[in-house]
Amino acid sequence: MRSAEGSLAVCEGCDEVLRWTPLLPRETARCLRCGTVLGRGHRLDLAAVLALTLAALVVFLVAVFTDVIVVRLGGNAVATSVPGAVARAWYDGQHLVAVATAVTAIVAPALFILLRLYVLLPLAAGRLAPGFGACVRALHRVSRWNMVEVLTIGGLLSLVRLAALAQATPGPALFALGVLTLLFAAIETAGLRHLWRYVE
Amino acid sequence: MIEVRRVIGARVAGSRLETAFPKRSRPPVLGCATCGLVVNEGDPRQHNHGISLRCPRCGEVLDHEKPFSVQRTWAFTVAAAILYIPANILPVLSTTTAFRTTTHTLLGGIHELWIDGSWGLALIVFVASILVPVLKIGVLGLLSWTVRKAPHWRRLERARLYRLVDLVGHWSMLDVYVVVLLGACVRFGSFANAAPEPGILAFAAVVVLTLYAAHSFDPRLIWRDAVNDG
Repeated sequence: MRSAEGSLAVCEGCDEVLRWTPLLPRETARCLRCGTVLGRGHRLDLAAVLALTLAALVVFLVAVFTDVIVVRLGGNAVATSVPGAVARAWYDGQHLVAVATAVTAIVAPALFILLRLYVLLPLAAGRLAPGFGACVRALHRVSRWNMVEVLTIGGLLSLVRLAALAQATPGPALFALGVLTLLFAAIETAGLRHLWRYVE
Repeated sequence: MIEVRRVIGARVAGSRLETAFPKRSRPPVLGCATCGLVVNEGDPRQHNHGISLRCPRCGEVLDHEKPFSVQRTWAFTVAAAILYIPANILPVLSTTTAFRTTTHTLLGGIHELWIDGSWGLALIVFVASILVPVLKIGVLGLLSWTVRKAPHWRRLERARLYRLVDLVGHWSMLDVYVVVLLGACVRFGSFANAAPEPGILAFAAVVVLTLYAAHSFDPRLIWRDAVNDG
């Protein structure tokens, strides 16, 4: 059953049934009818994705626990971190805005990294993590709520708007967010589909 | 078991795909959106939970159409369109200096950037805060409407529009982040202070609702031939 179906794919974008041959690195397979990307040739193997994810974990900790922006005005300095900004919005009475920011800027990236590590670490050791399927499904849902790249631009934009008012300098977290954007982009290109090859 | 009967078309240069079946003889299979497994629909072993089919490999729900896709997309899109009005009329941010308190709206913020000479940034914020939400509401409305009323009209272009909306959608969060960061950074008591205003609540709701609307829409409906409940 598997051998007959292994070469088939169903397009997510239009439900067309397609047959495919293995992709070379850097090759992209698009649906012939609607153009939806169905798969990319793998450039990164399991070890490379695991290494990038571990790097992302370290950078993420910097992004969360250090200051994004430091503002100096008349001898006073105010520094804010991402969780600090979320807490501030909450205390200002903007609960929904605080929750939306926390979910998209902290919770989703954290789950993006932690769930991946939970799945990849045992896989690298040749074992399957308990609840593997549920975790990979959760990863698919979490990925779309991860908006670190938008937060990075938002931080830069805030800096520019502050420059008119006071002396504003970027904190370590802003640089960390920039690096995290690149790491997430690299991890995302590897995708999740190929993980199932190790399962069988 | 799937029997491959006929293959049409040769391998297209640059693409490693080919249409596996001629029109109207599509085998009864379902594709898993999570793991990509192709599952035979007729296999009764995959049936559990009564009517919903689950992927035997990863456990994802399998279907040919997201449940209540058009209805849900309409509901989220209309709600977002309504909230977009207060999001633009109400101030999103207030700044207090020693002299006075000023409030800023979304368009006002873009105007200020433009006047300051940062027209590149003004453009980025205009695209993220005005163009993307309007585009999303308009496109999702159009897509939902055409699925029922004009199913054959420019299918490839509609599929591309959907992918575009899905790709750029989350960039509207930009202004929400800016307001949250500014509200947290500018804390110098009565000397200089910034705080979020109700408009940002409406705008954040617009962003979240349009994201849900885009996730609710099923692009496979664009290619559906027989519309039973038109």
